[in-house]
Amino acid sequence: MELIVNGQRRSLEADPQMPLLWALRDLLGLTGTKYGCGIAQCGACTVHVDGMAVRACQIRLADVTGEVTTIEGLGTPDAPHPVQTAWIGEQVAQCGYCQSGQIMQAAALLSLNGDPTDEDIDRAMSGNLCRCATYPRIRAAIRAAALRMGGV
Amino acid sequence: MIRVLALLLMAGPAGAEVMPSIVAPPEEGSVSPADGLAAWDRVHQVVSHPRCANCHVGSDHLPMWSGPEFPEPRPHGMAISGGDSRMGIETLPCATCHVTASTLDSDPRQAPNAMIPWQLPPVEMAWFGLDSAAICRQLRDPALNGGRDWVELAQHLQEDAGHGGFVAWGFAPGGGREAAPLGLQTHIDDVLKWGAAGQPCPE
Repeated sequence: MELIVNGQRRSLEADPQMPLLWALRDLLGLTGTKYGCGIAQCGACTVHVDGMAVRACQIRLADVTGEVTTIEGLGTPDAPHPVQTAWIGEQVAQCGYCQSGQIMQAAALLSLNGDPTDEDIDRAMSGNLCRCATYPRIRAAIRAAALRMGGV
Repeated sequence: MIRVLALLLMAGPAGAEVMPSIVAPPEEGSVSPADGLAAWDRVHQVVSHPRCANCHVGSDHLPMWSGPEFPEPRPHGMAISGGDSRMGIETLPCATCHVTASTLDSDPRQAPNAMIPWQLPPVEMAWFGLDSAAICRQLRDPALNGGRDWVELAQHLQEDAGHGGFVAWGFAPGGGREAAPLGLQTHIDDVLKWGAAGQPCPE
């Protein structure tokens, strides 16, 4: 089977029922996407499928119908995504384990809603848990990224 | 046998349906009001089941968690809101966790999935917490049911279940979750009996 991941066509020998997360990490070596709970309760495995946030632990390979973007494809050290720039600016991460999922979720939110209210941010991000409780800095970084991306 | 099969095929649409059913409306007026009310009671058992009602929520757009899997009814965790879009587009799309799948089945611990994008029904179809009489009046009012007469209501159930939408999911929610009662065909037959009786509602 074939997947387009971070702009590249990748061939896989895999059970079509395999969750996308397993394929990304174990077959393609893209370990920036994290395994947290495996049951859509924590958000650590969030990636984009055609730009929409999807929990990679939930979607089976057979059901991936669009292009997958992982944290490795969102931006680069030389050209980070505005959300990544804001994350660095606000020094959001503590242990960092959940942060790729947080960043992917935040980027997806801003692509749909360029000027989110605090309530919008809370509603969009409450499915992404952070055991270090970096939530205030996550919110600040999303506001900063919205400004950088042309929001108000 | 072949004649019966041919009749059945004529009664419903062709094609590979996820959960096939037949819409065979009785003649209008051929069902007594008492039998119509009895049919409505069974329809109500289905539509008020948490598997169906949890998403038929109002203008706060907050899906509910209620039913045998939950100790007490409460809004969906994680501060989820369907928003005006009823699909969570303004904040977190429902389909981020409730992925669009090629099966209705899912693991008991997974976010359940259907074969169409997960979403709340239109806000005018809210009936979570309403009593049987109120839901009945709502379902017979075309302004509140998507502009459908009684046959079209049954056809809607058939069509949605046929492509693995939420009607099919309610009757086959996977993962050991409790299904809505009675089954799709009985539900469609009951909607039609209720309709043929003039859509009587409890007082």
